[in-house]
Amino acid sequence: MYEERFDKRKFDELRPMEAETGIIPNAKGSARFRIGNTEAIAAVYGPEEVKPRHIEKVNKGIIVCKYDMLPFSVPDRAKPGMDRRDIEISQVITNALNKAVILEDMPRAMVNVRIYITQADAGTRCASLTAASMACADAGLPMRDLVAAVAAGKIGDSICLDLTKEEEDFHEGGATDVPIGFLPSKNEIVLLQLDGKVTREELKKIVEVGKKGAMEIYELEKAALKRRFLNESKS
Amino acid sequence: MINAKNFDIVTPGELLSDERNGRNGTYEENEKVYSKFLGMVQLSDRGISVSPLAGNYYPKEGDDIVGEVTEVSAKYWVVDINAPFYTRLDVRDVNFRVEESELDRYIDIGDLVYARVFRVYPNNAADISMRGTRYGKLESKMITRIDPVKLPRLIGKEGAMINLIKEETKCDIVVGQNGIVWVDGEDKNRAAALSAIKFIDENYVDSDLAEKVRRLLEDVRGKI
Repeated sequence: MYEERFDKRKFDELRPMEAETGIIPNAKGSARFRIGNTEAIAAVYGPEEVKPRHIEKVNKGIIVCKYDMLPFSVPDRAKPGMDRRDIEISQVITNALNKAVILEDMPRAMVNVRIYITQADAGTRCASLTAASMACADAGLPMRDLVAAVAAGKIGDSICLDLTKEEEDFHEGGATDVPIGFLPSKNEIVLLQLDGKVTREELKKIVEVGKKGAMEIYELEKAALKRRFLNESKS
Repeated sequence: MINAKNFDIVTPGELLSDERNGRNGTYEENEKVYSKFLGMVQLSDRGISVSPLAGNYYPKEGDDIVGEVTEVSAKYWVVDINAPFYTRLDVRDVNFRVEESELDRYIDIGDLVYARVFRVYPNNAADISMRGTRYGKLESKMITRIDPVKLPRLIGKEGAMINLIKEETKCDIVVGQNGIVWVDGEDKNRAAALSAIKFIDENYVDSDLAEKVRRLLEDVRGKI
């Protein structure tokens, strides 16, 4: 049984978060998002000419997204470069961003998104997606909405928000991890994966809990994006 | 019901109104108007528009632009004009006689040109031309880049700001509408002009920017 969380949080409480934009001067847009001990940095380049030529779309733009874990991000050194897991996560993030960015507005163009994990403590794909959507907005891309993503899940019999690595590896009763990506103001889900075992009712509850967390993240994203312009007017 | 005030800063996806009066920089879904960009709201009688606070240069016909030549071919130059796509400057569109296949004798890789956008394709690619006495190659290679959305602040009302910088620093400045700014003058003056442009780039939402720029330029001159 899992009655109290390892870090004494409430079951529907997020880890402390931090968000920042405009951190990479050479990129068109960039963002950093930290939640607990997980930190992601995203940079957006483009829109620009499509390379390689054959993936070009005539009536809309394309997003090419690369997710990579830096070698020092995990306790055991991660091999540099993309492995199977990185390729999968890149793909799910691309799919989610395709729904958020208005691709029809940039025909024949390509947007490059690079995401690096500097510290990993579970929920990296959600942190990446959040950072990537902030970086896209910072780059001035036309977007339908920002993406707020958070992992929820079931540990033992309790439904939890924002799992840590320790909780993901919980053995007594098993742990289920459900990363969810939302378009908060549209109430749409753009990313939903499930690793573990839950019933239909439990999944509904998990998504509900995740939505609550995502709204908090959304507020933080908005504040971080606006902060740069409000600060500037003060100085 | 309009949800936003004038000069509000909004993020993409923020609800602006449900009156179907969205204009530039907004989109409509389920009869509601949302913001498309991270930008500033502008209300008018005709509706709501959002002007982005960051973004790319999309060429428009008739824009005067500064570009950097990146490639020379037998019949055209390839020019980087800060837009998503590279542009071509054809030999027939320059204001001097050219021997074909010796194009690099006139304009070489790395040279800067001042030209006009005369054709824009549906995918925002463009062709540029140098026909006309105003256009040509720019000698000396000092350029700086500024976000195209910030250009109105750099130029100011009827060119007030850019004239201020020109007078204070005694520099020749050419502002391309694509956000590339060419600066020519003595080394010290040029440095002062560049710092003023950088200051505007960083503080462009400020009020009474002209006064601050004047003070900055005096500061810089004091140090030299």
